[in-house]
Amino acid sequence: MGFGNLLKKELGQLLTRQAIFSMIFTMALFIMLGQVMGNTMGKLDELDKNDGTITLINLDTGDLSKKMLDDFRAEGTEVKLLSYSGNGDDYSSVLEENDLKSILIIPEGFSADAESGKSAKLKFVTKVTGTGLANMIDSGTDGGTPEMISDYLQKYYHDNFLDVTEEQIETYEAPSTVVQFTVANGRTAEIAPEMVSGMLMAVSVVMPMAIFFLLMMASQMIMTAISTEKIDKTLETLLSSPVSRIGVLVAKVVAAIVVALLNALTTMIGFAFYLNGMTGNKMVSMMNVGPASSEINEAINEAVTTNPVEALMQLGIGISGGQIFLVFLELFIGLAIGLCASLIIGAMATDIQSLSTLLMPVMILTMVPFFITMFMDINSMGIVPKMILYAIPFTHTYTALNNLIFQNHAAFIGGLVYQLVFLGATMYAAVKVFTTDLLFTMKLPEKQAAGKSGSLFGKGK
Amino acid sequence: MAVLSVNGLTKCYKKGTNAVENVSFEVNEGEIFALIGPNGAGKTTTIRMIATLLTPTQGDAVVNGHSIVKEPAKVRENITYLPDEAGAYKTMKGIDYLYFMAGLFSSDKAQIEKYVERAVNMCGLGDRLEEKINGYSRGMIRKLLLSRAVMTRPSLAILDEATSGLDVINALEIRKTIKKLSREEGMSFLLSSHNMLEIEYVSDRVGIISHGHLLEVGRIDEIKEHYNAANLEEVFEKVVNV
Ligand SMILES: Nc1ncnc2c1ncn2[C@@H]1O[C@H](COP(=O)(O)OP(=O)(O)OP(=O)(O)O)[C@@H](O)[C@H]1O
Ligand SMILES: [Mg+2]
Repeated sequence: MGFGNLLKKELGQLLTRQAIFSMIFTMALFIMLGQVMGNTMGKLDELDKNDGTITLINLDTGDLSKKMLDDFRAEGTEVKLLSYSGNGDDYSSVLEENDLKSILIIPEGFSADAESGKSAKLKFVTKVTGTGLANMIDSGTDGGTPEMISDYLQKYYHDNFLDVTEEQIETYEAPSTVVQFTVANGRTAEIAPEMVSGMLMAVSVVMPMAIFFLLMMASQMIMTAISTEKIDKTLETLLSSPVSRIGVLVAKVVAAIVVALLNALTTMIGFAFYLNGMTGNKMVSMMNVGPASSEINEAINEAVTTNPVEALMQLGIGISGGQIFLVFLELFIGLAIGLCASLIIGAMATDIQSLSTLLMPVMILTMVPFFITMFMDINSMGIVPKMILYAIPFTHTYTALNNLIFQNHAAFIGGLVYQLVFLGATMYAAVKVFTTDLLFTMKLPEKQAAGKSGSLFGKGK
Repeated sequence: MAVLSVNGLTKCYKKGTNAVENVSFEVNEGEIFALIGPNGAGKTTTIRMIATLLTPTQGDAVVNGHSIVKEPAKVRENITYLPDEAGAYKTMKGIDYLYFMAGLFSSDKAQIEKYVERAVNMCGLGDRLEEKINGYSRGMIRKLLLSRAVMTRPSLAILDEATSGLDVINALEIRKTIKKLSREEGMSFLLSSHNMLEIEYVSDRVGIISHGHLLEVGRIDEIKEHYNAANLEEVFEKVVNV
């Protein structure tokens, strides 16, 4: 009777003022940390920009580009000119051969555009390597930025177009139009590197982190929800009332998921702000599928002609709607396994102390695969550690997105099947525990020694 | 007419020993029946089976025509259970706890209000019902739980150690309340206790249980006469030490 009544009670107990406060606190902490980190990292960024070299490919035959490079040289900038013999916009081999992180391309018609007072086209190619935290922090450029050329052009317009028309003011404000290319996986696509590294970061950092928080929170919630009923001795009263045990169970699970989602959401928002503050606007560019807004592009007009989703696909790191569904399916299964296992463990708690020991195995099983998938590639590990990790069901949830993007279909399907079997088993066990005597008779193994059968009266038979 | 009839109830926690063995008795309408016996005798185990929390290893019990084995859900609609050493949700206010529990027994707003009003009048906690249960004393919690156990006027109220944790005055008050509810409203009770004095005062009939066996069942005066004893305590000594 009254599932809503039950659910309201569960939510009320999990969403205490303290819990809400700690959620807000975590979020605020991350945001502040990001601000502080961002300030220090911003300073570091500026340092490595003016390294006095500019590396470029000049496909332009006009005079202005030649003069510009001469002027750069005169100012003391080392200009490295590379040749390009490929066709189309495939610059991966150029970057590879010259061991460059980025390169500027002055396309055909650059001088002609500039000389006639139009915004001149520029191409800027950046290489994104590897995934993970290290890459995110180290995705700098070398060999000059489009800003240098843009600054030069601005001066050029200033000196040469004195009778300013409206159009020319526009040109003056945006002297060059940069088309960004990214090289990754040995392929080139027309997309801002921030979007690519954002995507890779989503795969290797943000997604696992979200999963980790969600798993931890939900497991902890359901464990608390069950064990406090036992510890505070309220479970028997509740279950002898006209409610079905499954109803009580479902109310607890739903409340745990809702509160865990809230928790994970606030933490992730805080974390997004943190990353954002730390690394400029990379997170933002990753989240909204549109022109990336890095410092470089702020001053310069940018021409995005390709659909970013297609461009990511072109690089072999895109993700489709179907894949997102599969990732969420994996997440849901992982969550369900965590909840069922926590439910069983939570039912064994008899006091607050035992509750904290009971939390340990769940903590370890979610934490270990989390950290390993974040910093390492499981597939390149030895057979034994690989097997151990794969035996932990949560590992498959962490690696799901990665496996889908990099087309490891066998690993994904294998993981999914394993998780489904595992879920079936834990779910069966959880329902069994909750619908039989086990809920009241189950205890921690170590506690069994403390049997008390002494009686105050009637010792003899 | 019997509200509860227990037939050969047996519970075995671990193989080899039965915590409760072949226990049979009846509780009639409007009657106060008490299970008395030493610690570990099997009182709570018997009660938990009747409250549908544990499944009997053997035997059955029927509440208002519903078997605890076959229709536990129906049984729960006919009983309330006050466990020994029970608690209440600490983060709730006393009054909210009553509303929550009442909401489990009815979905009709007016009915819920009636239940809660009854409990409020009975528990004697007054304004303190507006406080969080966290700050309640043991006795206050017991009174809250007890009033909620009777507020719905169940066919059978099962109270395990009804007065545990209460001082003399409060215990007496509770006993009087139980007796009054039975006499004036015809409510039936199944109690358990090892306080013979209490049982002698409050119950109509008793069952003496020891080591899982129900050794004697009957009206208190009849039993006293049968064992030629002055009080229940004496009866108990004679029965248990056979
Ligand atoms: N969960 C359990 N697992 C195993 N044995 C149990 C369990 N609960 C009770 N027992 C055993 O069953 C027997 C009866 O216990 P029970 O709690 O029914 O006694 P009781 O009459 O209620 O005692 P008390 O007056 O101390 O409350 C005891 O020997 C006890 O050790
Ligand atoms: Mg007991």
